[in-house]
Amino acid sequence: MRARSSLLLLLPGLAFLCVGFLLPAVAMLFAPPGVSFAQVLERMGAMLTDPYDLGIIWRTVRIGLIVTALCVVLGFPIASLLARSQSRWSGVLLALAIFPLLLSNVVRTFGWLVVLGSNGVIGQLLTGLGIVDEAPQLLYTELAIVLGLVQLFLPLAVITCYSAVAQVDPGLDEAARGLGASRTRAFWSVLVPLSLPGIVVAATLVFAGSVTAYTTPYLLGGSSQRMLSTQLFSYASVTVDWAAASATAIVMTVLVFLVSGISTLVGRKGATA
Amino acid sequence: MSAVMSRTARLRHPVAGTLAVAGYVVMIVPILFVVATAFTAGSTLRFPPDGLSLRWFGEAVAYTPFMEAVVSSLQLAVLATGLALLLGVPVTLAIHRGKIPGKGLLEGLFLSPLVVPELVVGLALYQQLMIGLRLDNFTTLLLGHTALLLPYAVRVTGASLALADPALEEAARGLGASPLRAFVTVTLPMLRPGLISAGLLGFVTSFNNVPLSLLLQTRDFRTLPVTMLDYVQQSYDPMVAAASTLVLAATVVVAIVAERTVGFAKIFGGINR
Repeated sequence: MRARSSLLLLLPGLAFLCVGFLLPAVAMLFAPPGVSFAQVLERMGAMLTDPYDLGIIWRTVRIGLIVTALCVVLGFPIASLLARSQSRWSGVLLALAIFPLLLSNVVRTFGWLVVLGSNGVIGQLLTGLGIVDEAPQLLYTELAIVLGLVQLFLPLAVITCYSAVAQVDPGLDEAARGLGASRTRAFWSVLVPLSLPGIVVAATLVFAGSVTAYTTPYLLGGSSQRMLSTQLFSYASVTVDWAAASATAIVMTVLVFLVSGISTLVGRKGATA
Repeated sequence: MSAVMSRTARLRHPVAGTLAVAGYVVMIVPILFVVATAFTAGSTLRFPPDGLSLRWFGEAVAYTPFMEAVVSSLQLAVLATGLALLLGVPVTLAIHRGKIPGKGLLEGLFLSPLVVPELVVGLALYQQLMIGLRLDNFTTLLLGHTALLLPYAVRVTGASLALADPALEEAARGLGASPLRAFVTVTLPMLRPGLISAGLLGFVTSFNNVPLSLLLQTRDFRTLPVTMLDYVQQSYDPMVAAASTLVLAATVVVAIVAERTVGFAKIFGGINR
């Protein structure tokens, strides 16, 4: 194909990408309505010193790290069991782990309202069994957000780890076992190191998803457990504070880019080592 | 024989097994409770439900804002997916078959909407296109959703094209077929699995989207997930559980279509790096 016809094929897509994404994103940084870029920077500076704003940033990072750790710890065993199993059930279990990726986040998160709400399953169970007199406050807590986000991103962790484990030659763990390594030792010294690049990718995707998710902190955290995303929405839509909204957007984007950058470096180092 | 034994033994590894079960409980159980509470005869979201009835399904279907939002979301998802494929497939062809410099950079550019947090993109489109350029919200949503789906169209169809042998197209051209004819009779059939995967993924991604669509809602045109979120915040009755169950049922249909056409587990293969 000649360069000119290639260019013709590229142009419509490129034009759409610019109008629907690139230009507005760049313009937002430098020219929010009626606000100068200096004001955005000033607001960002204030944000990084204000205890309330810092608290929101720290909560976002903390929840992101906890959710990432949980998704790897729960997702990798699922992935390795599924990738190594020869049972005919493994196909069904894999489908069950992937299906939630197609299902609306609102529907998935709504389930936790039923489980954790004041008339919810856990509250009723605890009071019904006489363990506590009054159902504990589970909804609108950090725990609720963490549970909701783990539910949301675990399928992503499973599918990413699954492709990593599936690429490791099963003969290698058999060999380790044959040479006398225990199951646990073969897992830790063969399977985990060889799947590490995939685990790093999974962790990055989960972290980036968790610190930018909106539905979960909105439904399960409420206004008492604000994260960067719910705070951004509130600035943009309730208080209409463009400088603050842009500043929050920049902090959020930098956070995601920073973690993706670190993970790429780690991945590269892992590949050369 | 010993290999099979050790595989079964690994399946029964107690720690990995327990973690895997916990993971599945978190992923699946809340969804089951949504379905269970949707069939309640009572008027509160509680488990176990107060009697069984289809009452809330009737109310959800008769609730005009939900039904209008279903139509809006379907329109948006179908149009955005169609546009993304129409724009994305030529881009894929140019990247994989064209003789142009900077292919890696170009592909990165088309994948970039996946990297920036969707809420941030939504804020940018709201500020720059809806407020700045006074575009109506449907146009803005369509631009944003199409840009968001372009990465899926480019990468997933690209994965199909990478597997296809360019020699076949050259053979068709050598036998006298016009470029268009070679594309339609040779390339397009090879792209079919990629097109179906990208189409299904794109449709589901657009239909379920919250963060990008959130700030772009108006009274005239609202998407279903955002309408459901608003409803949950206002009233806490089982109607949303019923609506969620209907969304779940529709998603199962999409999953079955995916399984029958390209294979359920494969549709996520192209997007995962």
